[in-house]
Amino acid sequence: MKNPYRSIEAEVLSVTTETPTIKTFLLKPKEELTFKPGQFMELSAPGLGEAPFTPSSDSEIKETMEITIVKVGKVTDEIHKLKPGDTVGLRGPLGKGYPMIRFIGQEVLVIGGGVGLAPIRTLMYDLFHMSDKLSKLVYRGGCRNPEELIFRKELEGWMKRDDIDMVLTVDEGDDTWNGPVGLVTTIMDGIDMNYSRVKAVVCGPPIMMKFATFKLKELGVRDRNIYLSMEKNMSCGFGKCGHCRIGPYYCCKDGPVFTYDMIRDFPGIWD
Amino acid sequence: MPLDKTGLKFYFIAMLYIKRGNLFQLLKFLSGGYRVFVPSRKGDNIAFTAFGESEEDYVIGEFRSFEPLKAFYFLGREKVAVDFSPENPRNDNPPCIVGVKSCDLKGLKILDFVFMDDEYGDPTYMKARTAGLIISADCTKAAETCFCTAMGVNPWPEQEYDINLSEADKGFVVEIGSDKGQKVIDDHTALFQEATEDQIHSREHNRTSVKQHIEKNVRKKNIPPVKRLQRIVRKNFESDIWSEEAATCVECGACNVICPTCHCFLLYDQKSDGSLARYRIWDSCMIKDFARVAGGENPRNRLWMRLRNRFEKKFDYFPSVADEIACTGCGRCIAACPGKIDIRQVLAKLSAPR
Repeated sequence: MKNPYRSIEAEVLSVTTETPTIKTFLLKPKEELTFKPGQFMELSAPGLGEAPFTPSSDSEIKETMEITIVKVGKVTDEIHKLKPGDTVGLRGPLGKGYPMIRFIGQEVLVIGGGVGLAPIRTLMYDLFHMSDKLSKLVYRGGCRNPEELIFRKELEGWMKRDDIDMVLTVDEGDDTWNGPVGLVTTIMDGIDMNYSRVKAVVCGPPIMMKFATFKLKELGVRDRNIYLSMEKNMSCGFGKCGHCRIGPYYCCKDGPVFTYDMIRDFPGIWD
Repeated sequence: MPLDKTGLKFYFIAMLYIKRGNLFQLLKFLSGGYRVFVPSRKGDNIAFTAFGESEEDYVIGEFRSFEPLKAFYFLGREKVAVDFSPENPRNDNPPCIVGVKSCDLKGLKILDFVFMDDEYGDPTYMKARTAGLIISADCTKAAETCFCTAMGVNPWPEQEYDINLSEADKGFVVEIGSDKGQKVIDDHTALFQEATEDQIHSREHNRTSVKQHIEKNVRKKNIPPVKRLQRIVRKNFESDIWSEEAATCVECGACNVICPTCHCFLLYDQKSDGSLARYRIWDSCMIKDFARVAGGENPRNRLWMRLRNRFEKKFDYFPSVADEIACTGCGRCIAACPGKIDIRQVLAKLSAPR
């Protein structure tokens, strides 16, 4: 019988400091481990604790995996201390991920905020791989200030591609910033898309997801076409431990990606 | 009368009987392959003890034990993984639990729904359930807190047992509930005899009188009918009753740990004896941080929201996903609550017009 609690050993190959509180870890699992965009991993600092994270690397790269982590608590403090050569545990992939097949032939609008850009990066790689099958690809991203904009160089590279319409904004600009200033909801108007048919993907801090969802609704995007990447307290990651329940669903097992129509009626979804 | 194996099926329909002394003889045999636990008197309570101590204290009938049955299938704190090994660290004999009551058997149906799963099933739980043995028993008394009949459960086992015992005539009328149970009896036929009509009559008489006793308690408490519970809990989503009832809660989590259907847990890692150990420990949804995320947001920041969540989980979530009410009427949470929160009273208040 499979032991669902067991982690696979992985080596930290490199650590990139993205911002003072965000680091990206390049990991090499000792056993084959593949994932789909939107699925998550339980990453453990051995003997110190486990927490759920969504990979930020290309899901087509099979040998390694990148995970981008904000330092917010006990487990992430320990993970931030890791150096190349250290060992971590990986359990997963868990959850359902994005239904990529439903994006074929559609206009796709991706809204990313803050560290939500990390899982969005994995999704974007997949969308780029299939961009000839999309009717349109639009990206609207935001974060607090240019310093906190993770993957900035890469994102600026994407802006030059001709298979994407991409705008980034920051809440507060600085000398290095030439783009728009304001919340992500201020750059969502006037996109040349048929909003009533658009597939919208939103990933970011809860408050940003809430207002981005309301803005999408206002623009005419249907509830069933708004894909939200929900964040709940998770422990087991496979629908047994009871922590992440949203109505009849478990965020880990049935999500973490939900369409808004699935969860809109349940309390505390943004908290 | 020793059994003739060729006529076993006939005898089973006619029902068997085992003397108290022979039952303990059987348990001695079973101790070879199982960890056998028997309910015993412990002060005012009945609690399980490992078989082998003084037989006089064993209480096969009466009513539910102090601890919920889940404690044997899903331990309060259990090592579930060591280092990066795929092995399940637990490797002891499966449990044989004696004197299990009907309410706890209903509880197992909920736990089975959660933990029996091809892909992510809990290895220890599944092993205990598939290889373990349940020798259940009829209730011969009811505690003041018992309300199983209100939850659609009779005070005698009707499901999920391998062998059932009904106290009668200084022994037990025996009923077989599974192939596993049948095999145990096949292997020890000399310990059983055919039940007499008087013994069977005594069993029926006891069942009726215990049920009537509990039904009387249930009527006094005005517990709404089981079919209406889901609707009542949903309808009262915004009710003030939650905050009124949560007023005396001290967030100790006793209602969670004592409940035969509460299954929530937390995985906890630590280094021990030079190796990495992952533990699965019972968790409590009444405690503030249960649903809090690392970023600080908490969907159930207020105590009354957590009380409401507990009722939602039992009376709305499980009926929706598993078609089972996740309350067995065992009344343990009523007995355990230092704030005197009474689930019967909460349900009655929710159903009363306001």
